[in-house]
Amino acid sequence: MAETPAGKYKVSKPERLFALTCALLYSKVGLSKHQILSSIPGYMAEYKPNGSNASLERKFERDKDTLRHNGINVEAVIPPYEDENNQATVYVIRKEEFTWPKDIKLTARQLALLTLASDAWAGGSLSTAANKGIVKLRSMGVVGEDSDISGVAPRIIEHEPNFREINNAISDRRVVQFDYRNPNTGVIETRTLQPWLLRQSEGMWLVLGFDVKNDQPRNFMLRRIVSRVSVGSNSAPFDAPDPSEVKKATDELEAFADKQIAKLKVKPNSEAWFKYQVDTKQKKNDGVIAIRYYDKFVMAEQIREYPGQVEVLEPKELADLVAEGYKQVVDDHG
Amino acid sequence: MAESKKLRDSDRFNLMLALVGNLIDGALYDVPELAKHFRVPESEIKEAIKNLGFIEINYHSPYGIDFDGLEEGDVAVHFGDKMAIQEVPRLSARQASALAAGLVYLKSIPGIADVEEIEKLQEIIASGFAKTKTPEVIINPIGVDLDIRILRQAINKSLAIKCDYQDNKNEVTIGRIIEPLRIDVHSEFIYLRGWCQTKQALRSFRIDRMRNTEILDTVKISDKAKQAELDDELYVPAENDIQVVLEVQPGAYGLMYDLKPIAEPVPVNKTSRRFTIKVGDVRNLGRLVTRYGGLAKVIAPEEARKAVRDFALAALNPEGSDSPKDAE
Repeated sequence: MAETPAGKYKVSKPERLFALTCALLYSKVGLSKHQILSSIPGYMAEYKPNGSNASLERKFERDKDTLRHNGINVEAVIPPYEDENNQATVYVIRKEEFTWPKDIKLTARQLALLTLASDAWAGGSLSTAANKGIVKLRSMGVVGEDSDISGVAPRIIEHEPNFREINNAISDRRVVQFDYRNPNTGVIETRTLQPWLLRQSEGMWLVLGFDVKNDQPRNFMLRRIVSRVSVGSNSAPFDAPDPSEVKKATDELEAFADKQIAKLKVKPNSEAWFKYQVDTKQKKNDGVIAIRYYDKFVMAEQIREYPGQVEVLEPKELADLVAEGYKQVVDDHG
Repeated sequence: MAESKKLRDSDRFNLMLALVGNLIDGALYDVPELAKHFRVPESEIKEAIKNLGFIEINYHSPYGIDFDGLEEGDVAVHFGDKMAIQEVPRLSARQASALAAGLVYLKSIPGIADVEEIEKLQEIIASGFAKTKTPEVIINPIGVDLDIRILRQAINKSLAIKCDYQDNKNEVTIGRIIEPLRIDVHSEFIYLRGWCQTKQALRSFRIDRMRNTEILDTVKISDKAKQAELDDELYVPAENDIQVVLEVQPGAYGLMYDLKPIAEPVPVNKTSRRFTIKVGDVRNLGRLVTRYGGLAKVIAPEEARKAVRDFALAALNPEGSDSPKDAE
């Protein structure tokens, strides 16, 4: 905490951030670092006209980051007449980048749907970010209106300790590194990834990205990450992926799943019968259904929940995996 | 502590931006109404308004605040001519991506909103964010072809429903009457939370086990049902529950979150974690633990270990015994 001269009002951080935003937004030509530190509340009390202001400068750098995370971009500009003299750098917030587009309005129903989308994260990794987004969007709404969406409480279930780190790294386009366990061999290896997107399939979260060492896009299941994810925040952000490349990689995963079909025989009117909605999905009246799956280990887990109710007819490796799991549990509890 | 202080500062700043984008110059609002609108505590509205009023740049205050009125619960902000932000701010990348992901999720649930409606919102979020970008989160539809529209209608009209329901003992009750209160969508199943007239209690019903659902136009949802408090948890532990120690490897970490440990999990080695939970009946552990095929195990007590072992043994020989059962 900074020293506060006795009797003087201590400027809070939200006030400092807000004052900085006002000043940089309304200055016609931008403000130099000296002008900012010597005139904006929250800096000026500690500013030394003839001394070192290193710690204040660091404070300003951190504030720029906080503003960026709140959607406000502080741009450093060298005026053209200064001819690349970086001593003359000024800082500015561009109004058109700051302001929500004037022609885009939200109806009460849209606001209610977005609120529901935000609430879906309740308690989850992204609830803070989603909630802050909603607070901002609500500034477009008329105070007093009511939502017409009621009676539904959707919850995104995401139990992954690394979810938020990865999601932030995607937004900030930062390279991540983590230890990953190969489910086939059990070998743990360090992976370096430019993360592109998170996806949930069958309740499992995957991160798709560019695997730097393997030089190609790869999918990783978050639950197989056995370390904390470290984010390379010192290097420059990686280039945004080409949307067509992202689409190609996601299509490939779907095509892979299309080829993985399990044939299951399900006991009529059992729990599994309802889980797999056999009455609507079976072709003949024999309780046999075909299900596509992304990952045999995950599929085996799901099937293990319904012992005696589901028989894996095909493929054999899936049937074996289910049985091996049961044996392992028996051994572990012997 | 430092972390949460930082979050509060950033939340406050965010709220200040939202407030000045919303308030009309000089108009009178009351604190509770603003708190409700922005879904924050009343004290946060007061603090945010005070913070705005204290700002002074070069002897000039962008916002004029009536501090006495504020103490009484009235908010009136006068925008100065210079340096007073009054625009609605854009979303940050993280805010946009969190909301976009929430929308993706809503789209994956049948019967919440029209797909076009959600796609329109996705466009809006993308354009309200500083740069156009590709989606960052994809959520595949819940693998259930259910339409929850009829249930939502019943909830909105405050009417009871009738359906045939198969419970987890595979018994079907015909014409069960439920007073629907809320639909809870989880990753694998959709539940109807409602008041069961037969049991005279709150119950969770899996929607995939409901058949022949119809709205009962003449049966209003009772006051008893409306007054019942819905908990966020589907399962509420009881007093005489048994304490069980579990150990999980990364693939089974989900158990730690699903089962609500009574204390922080403790690391056993680099990757395994140990934690204690309370269960009503150890037989329920069989299925929970067995699904992970070795990534989760029960450490103690012995009766719980045996329950899991019996469950897995029965699973290996489904013909040799009755198929394994959860507790009734």
